[in-house]
Amino acid sequence: MQARLGEPDRDEILTYLGFHGRECPAELVGQLTECMRRVTEAARPRLVYRRLPLEGGEIRGLPLGGGDIRALLAPCREAVLLAVTLGGGVERLLMRSGVSDMGDAVIMDACASAAVESVCENFDADLRLALHGEGLYLTDRFSPGYGDLPLDCQSALCEALNAQRRIGLTVTETQILIPRKSVTAIMGIADTPQPLQRHGCGKCSLSATCPYRKEGAKCHE
Amino acid sequence: MNDNKKLTLLDGATGTMIQAAGLKLGERPELFGMEHPDIVEQIHRAYVEAGSDIIYANTFGANAHKLAGLGHSVEEVISANIATARAAAGDRAKVALDIGPIGELMEPLGTLSFDEAYALFTEMLRAGERAGADLVVFETMTDLAEARAAVLAAKEQTSLPVWVTMSFEASGRTFTGTTVASMAVTLGGLGADALGINCSLGPDEIYPLIQEMLAWTDKPVIVKPNAGLPDPATGAYSMDAEMFARQMSRFPALGVTILGGCCGTTPEFIRALSTLAPDENAAARPALRRGVCSASHMTELKGVRVIGERINPTGKKRFQQALRERDLNYIMERAIEQADAGADILDINVGLPGIDEAEMMTQVVRAVQSVVDLPLQIDSSDPAAIEAGLRECAGRAIVNSVNAEAENLERVLPLVKKYGAAVVGLTMDKSGIPQTADARVALAERILDAAAAHGIPREDVLIDCLTLTISAQQEQAAETLRAVRTVHERLGLHCVLGVSNISFGLPTRAHVTVSFLTQAMLCGLDLPIVNPNQSEIMDAVFAFRALSGEDRDCARYIERFASAPSAPTAAPSSEMTLEAAILKGLKQETAQLTAALLETMTELEVINERLIPALDVVGEKYEKQEIFLPQLINAANAACAGFDLIKTRIASRGGESVSKGKIILATVEGDIHDIGKNIVRVVLENYGYQVLDLGRDVPVQSVVDAAVRENVSLVGLSALMTTTVDSMRRTIQALRASGHPCKVMVGGAVLTPEYAEQIGADYYARDAKASADIAKEVLG
Repeated sequence: MQARLGEPDRDEILTYLGFHGRECPAELVGQLTECMRRVTEAARPRLVYRRLPLEGGEIRGLPLGGGDIRALLAPCREAVLLAVTLGGGVERLLMRSGVSDMGDAVIMDACASAAVESVCENFDADLRLALHGEGLYLTDRFSPGYGDLPLDCQSALCEALNAQRRIGLTVTETQILIPRKSVTAIMGIADTPQPLQRHGCGKCSLSATCPYRKEGAKCHE
Repeated sequence: MNDNKKLTLLDGATGTMIQAAGLKLGERPELFGMEHPDIVEQIHRAYVEAGSDIIYANTFGANAHKLAGLGHSVEEVISANIATARAAAGDRAKVALDIGPIGELMEPLGTLSFDEAYALFTEMLRAGERAGADLVVFETMTDLAEARAAVLAAKEQTSLPVWVTMSFEASGRTFTGTTVASMAVTLGGLGADALGINCSLGPDEIYPLIQEMLAWTDKPVIVKPNAGLPDPATGAYSMDAEMFARQMSRFPALGVTILGGCCGTTPEFIRALSTLAPDENAAARPALRRGVCSASHMTELKGVRVIGERINPTGKKRFQQALRERDLNYIMERAIEQADAGADILDINVGLPGIDEAEMMTQVVRAVQSVVDLPLQIDSSDPAAIEAGLRECAGRAIVNSVNAEAENLERVLPLVKKYGAAVVGLTMDKSGIPQTADARVALAERILDAAAAHGIPREDVLIDCLTLTISAQQEQAAETLRAVRTVHERLGLHCVLGVSNISFGLPTRAHVTVSFLTQAMLCGLDLPIVNPNQSEIMDAVFAFRALSGEDRDCARYIERFASAPSAPTAAPSSEMTLEAAILKGLKQETAQLTAALLETMTELEVINERLIPALDVVGEKYEKQEIFLPQLINAANAACAGFDLIKTRIASRGGESVSKGKIILATVEGDIHDIGKNIVRVVLENYGYQVLDLGRDVPVQSVVDAAVRENVSLVGLSALMTTTVDSMRRTIQALRASGHPCKVMVGGAVLTPEYAEQIGADYYARDAKASADIAKEVLG
């Protein structure tokens, strides 16, 4: 499964910038378009993932703290570990614009956040589609720092994925991912459709071509 | 270790085989090796029996960072694993201390400093040498800065032969952007004994990258590929040994002499390689290409290459002020400006009385490298500053300069050699600049001989025949040109020249400067040191490249001028007010309107009566949610253009900088999220405060030291992560413990007013506007 960068979601970027549903002011349209273009140009999205068997809802050799992840994985037979990054080019672009033009820097930061999210969404959709062939279902995506899943499982996740070697993603001692515009996540694979809290068909990039919807069904509860 | 009659065979994957032998998820292979030496010895032995001349010990990740908290020292783990490899090797194979990346990214993208990386590598290297390794191989490196620290540690702390292989994507870049050419030139220059590529790709995908590498280095070259490309879901490799050997068989004909396998390869693969022999008809290695580089950008020394001269305090009051105030942002802006204007190399000069030049050189080189990817020219007469610059520079630099005096050559050339730099030789000595071209050429030859005696190739000696001012010594222009022509034609060396000096003291200098530049390029000047922001100068360079044929089909000339605006931007319409320009975020208009106001008002009047009130209006609109963050920042940026104009005017007549007081800003230790801090900086600067921006991941002690040294009464700290709020607390504690009286304001996504109080802060700053209000309360 390849990392796919979708068309940047303008509304999402405006939300990150604090506009919350308001129109983009005319004087910002050009700047926003240019920033989106430069982030897309600098991005080299990469991902690595791994399917691991669950034993009693846990991944052997990878202890994960907190009750939320246990609840997510309880009905599952396998876990999927995922790491996604936009690469060092975006990081450098953000550093440079932080010096040359903070206005651009603020907007590009939001564009990059939306971009890494879109890569995750696309992976999510691709994997759901692949699992459809196996008669299996995917849970929500859950990242360190969500709910009670502690941030400090970040290094263990990246180690398990060999993320530095495979996609150039590293973790600092303070559990910050570098390059910053990166995401790690855990998902579960189950025999039955799972409830989705954060996403639904409306946001899914497959909504037009989804095999479940064609059958009048859903990939989730 | 590498005679020419036989190929040197390395081993194949060790990690994959240890996994197959029972390594569990989350378990470190190096500790597994300590606990199961029999299993690992068996793996090594299988490679020796398959024909490996060198086996890599199971020490890849045995650094203090990765072993932290696991109960074993680096020394223990390395000596045990080297012993295992030794036992398997007997006298049939050599044992390499194998060292991979530390696992954290280095500055500027990451937080690991050069010194920390150097110390971590040194610990491993000493342990490996003591344990009896025959050589060290740094492999799977992706960051040239880290590979440099590794090679320098090995060269300075051990006497082991040093081999380095890095991992590239098919694009020819590593994950961090390092190019094949930059790697070859930089590490070859530092004295690595063999260079190559491992992991990342299969042999066929690596083939074109190795061709590229061979164009840039004359060192022995190593190829250690994966068994093709992995299945993305399982990570498994599908290529078999026969196919691998078939693909590998193309390398000896290129001149590659050291072969092995990486992920997915087994002893069977190595056995298949053992049938390969060096190609007696191997193509002669191509003529070496030469250049200077950053990690991610090579400037080949071929044709006219522009060296930007603007990072230099000489005669620039505003720049001097920036150095004294450690305003690295100002210097970084000068770097970006020159890169955007088309410079190929940036000269870095930070010499100023009262400044610790070596320390400042380190800071400035680090800062400049974080925002532009051009190679650097370290410009100083102080050997300590030169070495500081060379050590920090994450590529291959130019040293500017040596002169023909024996004492000067003896002090500087060893540094040039050690760091593999190129060097500018000034054609002058104790008695000054000779008046004739012939005498200058003679000095160039003297410099060339001294360089040769230090093992510096002639291609790396760049001669500066020196420009004198025609308003003082008019006849010297012709002598300089004659000298350039002779150095270029007779000695065949690259020529550097600081061009602008020619017109010093004349009105409308550009005509004379550009004309002299063009004549000098015709004589053979290929490295002009100029101001690339002056478009006439760059126009002349582009025109020259088109005329000389360097610019094929005039493509770059056409690109530069076909899209050029036909008319200069119009002055702002008469209705536009300064306030409106700021609110709309229009930088150029704000600067023009400020300049117009300064004709009738003083600088302070413009600041207090127009700029600050305009920003207040912007702030109010932001609070009422009539405008949002990007507009607030754009407005602040526009106002900045006005402030810059005022600062430059005041500095140029030697006045004190306008400041309502100094404020320190820092993103705390361990945190690298600096966007919030940068927003606050822009806003505070616009309210007339002098911001000492200490950057991100700032050690606790550095904040305290700066607060005391600069006698600052307001410190702003930023942290974005729950994991780094504690360093914020520690920083506040240390500030209090120092006894230095100051207020502390804190901000960041995870903070709340309660949390701020709990960790001992005086103020919680909700956003940038709030921090300006706090500054007003504390500093007035």
